[in-house]
Amino acid sequence: MQKLSYLKPQSLAEALDFLNQYGEKCKPYAGGTDLMVQLREEAPRLRGVEYLMDLGALEETRGIEVGEDLISIGTMTTHTQVNTSPVLRQHVPFLSEASSTVGSTQIRNNGTVGGNICNASPAADTLSPFVALNARLVAVSVNGTRRVDLKDAFVKAGVLKLEPNEMVTRIEIDRIDDYSTAFIKLGRRKALAISRMNAAVALKLENGVIQAARIAPGCVFATPDRVERAEALIVGKAPSDELFTQAGLAVSEEMIARTGVRWSTEYKKPVIEALIRRALCRAAGLPED
Amino acid sequence: MKKITLEFTLNGDPTKVEIDENTRLLDMLRDVLNLTGTKEGCGVGECGACTVIVNGDAVDSCLVLAASVAGKSVTTIEGLSKNGELDVIQQAVLNHHALQCGFCTPGFIMSAKALLDKNPHPTREEIKIAISGNLCRCTGYQQLVDAFEEAAEHYQSAAQ
Repeated sequence: MQKLSYLKPQSLAEALDFLNQYGEKCKPYAGGTDLMVQLREEAPRLRGVEYLMDLGALEETRGIEVGEDLISIGTMTTHTQVNTSPVLRQHVPFLSEASSTVGSTQIRNNGTVGGNICNASPAADTLSPFVALNARLVAVSVNGTRRVDLKDAFVKAGVLKLEPNEMVTRIEIDRIDDYSTAFIKLGRRKALAISRMNAAVALKLENGVIQAARIAPGCVFATPDRVERAEALIVGKAPSDELFTQAGLAVSEEMIARTGVRWSTEYKKPVIEALIRRALCRAAGLPED
Repeated sequence: MKKITLEFTLNGDPTKVEIDENTRLLDMLRDVLNLTGTKEGCGVGECGACTVIVNGDAVDSCLVLAASVAGKSVTTIEGLSKNGELDVIQQAVLNHHALQCGFCTPGFIMSAKALLDKNPHPTREEIKIAISGNLCRCTGYQQLVDAFEEAAEHYQSAAQ
């Protein structure tokens, strides 16, 4: 177990002072469900870290606020809270569903959405719905507050584009009340498995025509993203199995274009196509098989 | 290593303990407070043998920094029996022979207790989700789910 000093700031100002003073030596502790494992394994990514900063007392990182065109979720909101929040279930059901697939009951009770994002694993379950919701990270430091688009926030797996003195206090997402959404995760088993791949989609349907679409495949790119080419393909058309099959093909082509053909491509290509097609069918209310 | 003084409620009693600042909740319970009913299985949150209840929620105590429970209420398996009488969940596990080696049993019981305290009318599916973070390698899931259904009936009749 890596030995670290424990800090528990009682206010955001105090936390930001610690970060400003210690920078990369200071690691924020949210739910602990990833961090405690990394500490136990003395993971290379924690090399040089000397302080653990418990965010448990910071009110600014808590609560779910619904505004006129956005919803703001505190980073310390647990997966259980996201899954059971009536407003999130109403407004962004696919995010609630993604949260319900994280780890196990015990992990969801402690693990937080902020931790899921800031741990920056490409296999995180909630990243694809967040990207589909155009999530912005509210990054705060002693120098002020800025917003970073989630899809642009990753340098690579495990590394976020944040300054050493910055921390994320909230995640802002679009309100997409008039969309219907779906999330499908493929894991090795139902509990305690990270996403092998997943699909988060949102469709705005009017008079039987797709007015707008958001398609975010999970765990297929180095960093999470939507596939605008697949979205453009289906907008303005009537939902059908055939159309959604084409959207799935567009996503798998994008996957290969970005990551190249790998040993796993033979498996991943047909599977991501099926996940995208099924998620779109589910969102549109069509039979999935 | 710096020591810190931690105050919290343990099985209903106000507790003050001095610990190394980066101790896991699991190690504090077992090694400092000698409550060895909470088990360490995998140490990485996969098996649930270390499950305890913090402020009403089941958590893996191997993934919790002890210092973070300051001011909170922690319940362990030792907190369940009262005056030498087993808790209804413990009794139901015995009634259904829902254990073989018993190593996973405290964790399962704590997961079930967290569920039943919140929801005394769980469906079988809800029971399965509540214990989805607990592994039993002797294979006793069927009996465990049956036991927790019986315990739920006790919760319901106690509420009436």
